[in-house]
Amino acid sequence: MAVFNINKREIECKIVYYGPGRGGKTTNLEYIFKAYKKQVKGEMVSIDTEGDRTLFFDFLPMDLGKIKGCDVRVQLFTVPGQVQYSSTRKLVLKGVDGVVFVADSMEVRREKNMLSLKDLQQNLKEYNLSIFKIPLVLQYNKRDLADEGIPIMPVEQMERDLNRQLKVPSFEASAINGKGVGQTLQACLRLTLQYLQKQLKWAN
Amino acid sequence: MREKIKSLLKQAELYRSQGLYNEAKESYERVKRIIQKSKQLPNREKLLANISKKIEKVQNTLVRLENAKETPQMSPEVNRLIKNLFSKTGSGDKDAAALEGAVALAKFGQFNDAIAEFRRLLGVESQRVQAAKNILRCLLAYKSSDDAFDQLSEWRSEELFTDEEMAKIKSFFDGLVENKWDEKGAARSEALTGSSEMDEDEFLDISAVAITLPNGDQIELDVSFQSGNVVSLIIDKKDEDLIKDLHEGSKLEDVHFYSPIAIFRGSGVITSKTRIASGPKEGDYSMDIKIDSL
Ligand SMILES: Nc1nc2c(ncn2[C@@H]2O[C@H](COP(=O)(O)OP(=O)(O)OP(=O)(O)O)[C@@H](O)[C@H]2O)c(=O)[nH]1
Ligand SMILES: [Mg+2]
Repeated sequence: MAVFNINKREIECKIVYYGPGRGGKTTNLEYIFKAYKKQVKGEMVSIDTEGDRTLFFDFLPMDLGKIKGCDVRVQLFTVPGQVQYSSTRKLVLKGVDGVVFVADSMEVRREKNMLSLKDLQQNLKEYNLSIFKIPLVLQYNKRDLADEGIPIMPVEQMERDLNRQLKVPSFEASAINGKGVGQTLQACLRLTLQYLQKQLKWAN
Repeated sequence: MREKIKSLLKQAELYRSQGLYNEAKESYERVKRIIQKSKQLPNREKLLANISKKIEKVQNTLVRLENAKETPQMSPEVNRLIKNLFSKTGSGDKDAAALEGAVALAKFGQFNDAIAEFRRLLGVESQRVQAAKNILRCLLAYKSSDDAFDQLSEWRSEELFTDEEMAKIKSFFDGLVENKWDEKGAARSEALTGSSEMDEDEFLDISAVAITLPNGDQIELDVSFQSGNVVSLIIDKKDEDLIKDLHEGSKLEDVHFYSPIAIFRGSGVITSKTRIASGPKEGDYSMDIKIDSL
């Protein structure tokens, strides 16, 4: 939930990276941590378990500086994607202002992507939020694997699977080498800030 | 066929390296089936033995991950971070925030630290009932209903709570024992109260405000009506004392305005305070606050 300090003209909001287990959410944040040194405020905290699977969440605080006369701070979170961590996912989602859904391009993960998107929709609903209204972008990650001869889905298919109804901005990415990571985050931030601006009537 | 096997093996290795053990196992098994069918393959036995070994290894990893402890004990730093990140941001009420932080700890399975915090909050008037309920809930979740029951008896003999408080705690406990930890219910009660069906052109909808009184205490009040940047509050006559130091023209320095999508922190000024003279709310107070710069 965004916190808007009117006198200091300061806004703080929360972006959550959601998606199936092993899809590359943590890798996105790791890249942001390395590549956006100037905007990153503080350390990245990862609470994970054996094999780097996220157990609770990753957390990365950023400070974007002044936007339309307002100091903008952002907290980035990832959820644990594995199915069994359902209650933790819900907890991390609490107070979310914008969502990046990281889908795995590998064919073998097709169904997991769809289940995870459904899970997102349900968890948002429990907080009285609608997946159709919340600022949301999709990322089709691991595109680089095509070169390795690993079967991946064409973007058109992923669009049909995941974005047919949502019709939100989507990006190809290869988080492991940073490709598309910044683009995805920027798009999500833009949507989120636009949404908050409109709702909070801040830039006047 | 050689190519097919090679490609499947490559996939299997990649899935394994990304922690997708089920997918890796599946690919290895496909390779195994292909080799089994191709009777004239050179080195067939050796290949089969090899692949079986790989399958066994992935299988072991899968079992190990399955049995891994679900919620290990985290370091104090991590738990402090959890408390900070998951307590109502912006709420000025320190104790309410502490309670919420401790609830987050419990939900992340950090029961020892959570209980320690709840016990501390037993000493805080405004939070003690909630804290007690949560202690029972933790005990049920990670110890046993006997432990929770013992705790309840202990409180009863210590006369720590008033009869009314005790009745609340007891009935909560009975409900818990019946349903165990109803995850859904817990989340539901926490759900934001705002509706996402909000009309986009409507003025920002403020449902409650928290104001800091001249004596430093903070009170939270529901908004009964809002028109532009003026919110109206009704204060029950029994809370008359709380607002006795607030008058028309009083400046409120740190006000939190709660809306469905954000918490605003700002300042405001009391534009009117009147005692309602008739009707069902007779004797209650009506107070208007004009929000600065919204
Ligand atoms: N080839 C390739 N591998 C990737 C890419 N992004 C992530 N990976 C790998 O995929 C695996 C899982 O990545 P994570 O970032 O840990 O995935 P996650 O979504 O955080 O997973 P959970 O925490 O379990 O939900 C790791 O082995 C990463 O190195 C990518 O763009 N290309
Ligand atoms: Mg992760």
